[in-house]
Amino acid sequence: MNQWEVFVMDMAELAEGKDLALSIRTLNPGRHKYTYKHVRCQVSTNLDKHPDRLQVRMGRGQLSAAKFSIQVIEEIRRLPPQYA
Amino acid sequence: MNSTQEHKHVSKISAPRSNREFIEACVQAGDAVRIKQEVDWENEAGAIVRRACELGAAAPFMERIKDYPGFSYFGAPLSTYRRMAISLGMDPASSLPEIGKEYLRRTNSEPIAPVTIDRKDAPCKENILMGADVDLCKLPVPLVHDGDGGRYVGTWHAVVTKHPVRGDVNWGMYRQMMFDSRTMSGAVFPFSDLGKQLSEYYLPRGLSCPFATAIGLSPLAAMAACAPSPIPEPELVGMLSGEPARLVKCETNDLEVPADAEIIIEGEICPDYKVEEGPFGEYTGYRTSPRDFRVTFRVNCITYRNNATMTISNMGVPQDEGQLLRSFSLGLELEKLLRSQGIPVTGVYMHPRSTHHMMIVGVKPTYSGIAQQIGQLAFGSKLGPWFHMVMVVDDQTDIYNWDEVYHAFCTRCHPENGIHIYRNTTGTPLYPFATPQERKYSIGSKVVFDCLWPVDWDKINDVPTLVSFKNVYPQDIQDRVLANWTAYGYPQVK
Repeated sequence: MNQWEVFVMDMAELAEGKDLALSIRTLNPGRHKYTYKHVRCQVSTNLDKHPDRLQVRMGRGQLSAAKFSIQVIEEIRRLPPQYA
Repeated sequence: MNSTQEHKHVSKISAPRSNREFIEACVQAGDAVRIKQEVDWENEAGAIVRRACELGAAAPFMERIKDYPGFSYFGAPLSTYRRMAISLGMDPASSLPEIGKEYLRRTNSEPIAPVTIDRKDAPCKENILMGADVDLCKLPVPLVHDGDGGRYVGTWHAVVTKHPVRGDVNWGMYRQMMFDSRTMSGAVFPFSDLGKQLSEYYLPRGLSCPFATAIGLSPLAAMAACAPSPIPEPELVGMLSGEPARLVKCETNDLEVPADAEIIIEGEICPDYKVEEGPFGEYTGYRTSPRDFRVTFRVNCITYRNNATMTISNMGVPQDEGQLLRSFSLGLELEKLLRSQGIPVTGVYMHPRSTHHMMIVGVKPTYSGIAQQIGQLAFGSKLGPWFHMVMVVDDQTDIYNWDEVYHAFCTRCHPENGIHIYRNTTGTPLYPFATPQERKYSIGSKVVFDCLWPVDWDKINDVPTLVSFKNVYPQDIQDRVLANWTAYGYPQVK
């Protein structure tokens, strides 16, 4: 199970049952902890619904008590090819 | 040795030439501690630095980092005036006015051009990562504060850029967050030198801007990168240290970087790609500026010294180098500006605890409106966005003594006639008091506190007399009381 974290200004940004485009960062231990990916995903407050876990921080870094499960559907490649 | 040689010898500056020499000088003076036990890059190192700042304690030199054998951290490099004095090659016990005087002496001297050395002689080229090997996670990038938007690569460093037409070289301390293995994002405000360079040239043309981030600089190179001086930073380093800065050409672009830096990150600023940055603990003592899509740096190459030391500044409540050094250099550069305009200032000081938001100016009040003139000059300069309060006191008030300044403010500043407010000026998103709208668009407002007696008051009948030991007693009485102080039964006053 992978652990992820997301920053939001409003919990409404984490609508359940919809495809979302989020920047999430890995909380998995190791040197790459806290690096980000842009992903298309679905989230749920039902922790059994999706395979990975997502924790939430608000705009000034406050950790939310809310917990989500998350399914990363695909990584979104926003980087223009000239920088790859 | 003849007298000329002797003079040269006496006047030679013996400042640390590298971060390593600086650490050693600090350890020798008792102003840095070697931490031998392993420290975690995730929060623990940041917490050590933060506590050292809040206690005014010795700088932590953390020799073993979890997951990163061979690397070390040096935190809070210039968060005390003692370490600032060491960085300038002065006695650590030097007073703040003495340090300020020396800074002004050196930065008013002739510019000293840098020298470019061969890459084989540059310590920062001992290890080179290119192509698929480039990975910021190979560096011990710390999570400085719990809850930050990311691990911050650049907290005490210089982002080197060059204007492609004018050739102006800029070293600026723009914070940089690691977004992924090859991407950083940073807060570059539109009124900053780099912000102007991007908006004037690169962004309209859709061109990427070459950059190099230098980490683990000599303390005077870091001081130059932090100072809001009009002198190009490579020359300013030479003036501060008394000898040419040693530069070396980058591997992947034409920029030149300090050869003795611990780590160099080369790349390009993307005109057409932005990722999120922040939140981050800031010099004001808060996380204020919102997380946003900001200037994005794509990394093409990393070079570093063997056993490289990453420098960490942990900004938060006072006092750290973000407040101390910035207050110091900002105040002195403003003093130069005011003197250049013929204002009869006796000094300018920004107390670090004001998080360089309040400029205290001592002046001979020789004509009406001088406080407002000072405020308008200071706020209208390129330094203006970084502070919003100017307090003007007379030349009899010790600007370094907060008790005297506070007394002057509370007793001489007329609540109607002495407070002058300027609206819709340039501000920063970092102001904690600013509204969300003001933060978003860098809108500011400013205030001048005029603590001078009005010049049209009769000096005999209208101006109150300051009732103090020094002001109301004849000199012979003062001398007698001072001479007999211990005889009266009081302990000696230091």
